[in-house]
Amino acid sequence: MNQWEVFVNDLGELSEGKDLELTVRTLNPGMHMYTYKRVKCKVSSELEQFEDRLQVRLGRGQLSDKKFSIRVVEEIQRMPQKYL
Amino acid sequence: MASIPKDNREYIAALEKSGDCVRIKQEVDWDNEAGAIVRRVCELGAPAPFMEKIKDYPGFSFFGAPLATYRRMAISLGMDPNSTLPEIGKEYLARTNGEVVQPITVDRRDAPCKENILLGSDVDLCKLPVPLVHDGDGGRYVGTWHAVVTKHPVRGDVNWGMYRQMMYDSRTMAGAVFPFSDLGKTLTEYYLPRGEACPFATAIGLSPLAAMAACAPSPIPEPELTGMLMKSPVRLVKCETNDLEVPADAEIIIEGVILPDYKVEEGPFGEYTGYRTSGRDFRVTFRVDAITYRNNATMTISNMGVPTDEGQLLRSFSLGLELEKLLRSQGIPVTGVYMHPGSTHHMMIVGVKPTYSGVAMQIAQLAFGSKLGPWFHMVMVVDDQTDIYNWNEVYHAFCTRCNPERGIHVFKNTTGTALYPHATPHDRKYSIGSQVLFDCLWPVDWDKTNDVPTLVSFKNVYPKDVQEKVVNNWADYGFPSGKATD
Repeated sequence: MNQWEVFVNDLGELSEGKDLELTVRTLNPGMHMYTYKRVKCKVSSELEQFEDRLQVRLGRGQLSDKKFSIRVVEEIQRMPQKYL
Repeated sequence: MASIPKDNREYIAALEKSGDCVRIKQEVDWDNEAGAIVRRVCELGAPAPFMEKIKDYPGFSFFGAPLATYRRMAISLGMDPNSTLPEIGKEYLARTNGEVVQPITVDRRDAPCKENILLGSDVDLCKLPVPLVHDGDGGRYVGTWHAVVTKHPVRGDVNWGMYRQMMYDSRTMAGAVFPFSDLGKTLTEYYLPRGEACPFATAIGLSPLAAMAACAPSPIPEPELTGMLMKSPVRLVKCETNDLEVPADAEIIIEGVILPDYKVEEGPFGEYTGYRTSGRDFRVTFRVDAITYRNNATMTISNMGVPTDEGQLLRSFSLGLELEKLLRSQGIPVTGVYMHPGSTHHMMIVGVKPTYSGVAMQIAQLAFGSKLGPWFHMVMVVDDQTDIYNWNEVYHAFCTRCNPERGIHVFKNTTGTALYPHATPHDRKYSIGSQVLFDCLWPVDWDKTNDVPTLVSFKNVYPKDVQEKVVNNWADYGFPSGKATD
């Protein structure tokens, strides 16, 4: 099980049952902890719905007590190819 | 005068010798623990922590709160640790008003920062012990006490600036670069309109005076300013992947380009105001091409928050002294300028000999209209009888002499920073500021005998001989020796 974290201004940004595009960071222990990826994903407030866990922080870093499960469908590369 | 530390290692050794550094031998976690140690050090005014052993990162160390006290500032200048603030300020002004000291370029074989070089697929910021400074920050911050080195492509001006940098992924960083800053202007004037990438190099673990120069809003280019402060040339070496030159004795160098057409999210971050004010946003993005570092490299950490950290202390110090230089250059009869670090460098206190009308307004207009202006929003002008370093005296002058109708002047639609906690979200987004002058001078057209009130204090109303008698007999009266109050 992977652990992810997302920053949102409003929990309404995490619509359940829809395909979402989010910038999430990994909370998996190790040297790459807190690095980001842009992903297509689905989230649910049912913790058993998807295999990974998603923790939420609000606009100024406040930790939300609401937890989600998440399925990362695919990673998205936003950075222009010329910089890769 | 003791020797002036030429790099971060000499500086740590000097601090240990004077008892101003604590060597932590037990393992420290880069995830919050190191940041929490540094934060507590700042809030207690404790010695700077040197953390020898970092979880997940054998061979690296952390050095926190490098310049968070005036003692440490004095040591960085090679002065007695017990030097007073006015003495330190006098020394800073003497050195920075002296001869320019040009840097020298050394061969890469003589540059310790080249002892380890990561290029190509080996480049990974996660190989460096980048700390999560505050819980809830938007990421691990690579740059909290460092210099981002850039060069204007036409004018050739070299800039070392302390622009925060968050690690986004293994090869990408993002940070806040204000549009009124030197780098901000270079980007908006040149690189962004042309869609060209701007070469940069981030130098971490600098000598304390190079860091001081990177923090100072001086018109003197930072490499020269560092040399003037150190009284010897700063040693530079060429980067691996671009033509920039970086301090050869720095602990870590990160090279790359600032992207003109692509941004990633950055923040929030615990800021110098003592708040997380700026939210998460798409900000200036740095793509990394190379990393070089010394053997057993030390990552420096500044932990900004409530007072007092080095951001507040050093910016207050240098902003105050640079304003003093500016005002003197304009012939203003100032007696001193001081920013209390507790104001998070927001309030400039100016002492002046009030010999003509409007001098407080003249000071405020020069201060707010200068390059220094966006960094503070309050100017308080007091007379030369008020000790600008004594907050009790300044506060008393403010509360009693600043006329609510005549003494408070608001300047609207000026330049501000996105980090002002009191600013509206709109004003933060567009760096719109507002500023205020508190004129605490007696009006010059008041009759000094009959209109100006007399200050009633021990020093002001008793004859000298009576004062001396009372002071000399103080213990005999039965009072404890030392200060009578507190």
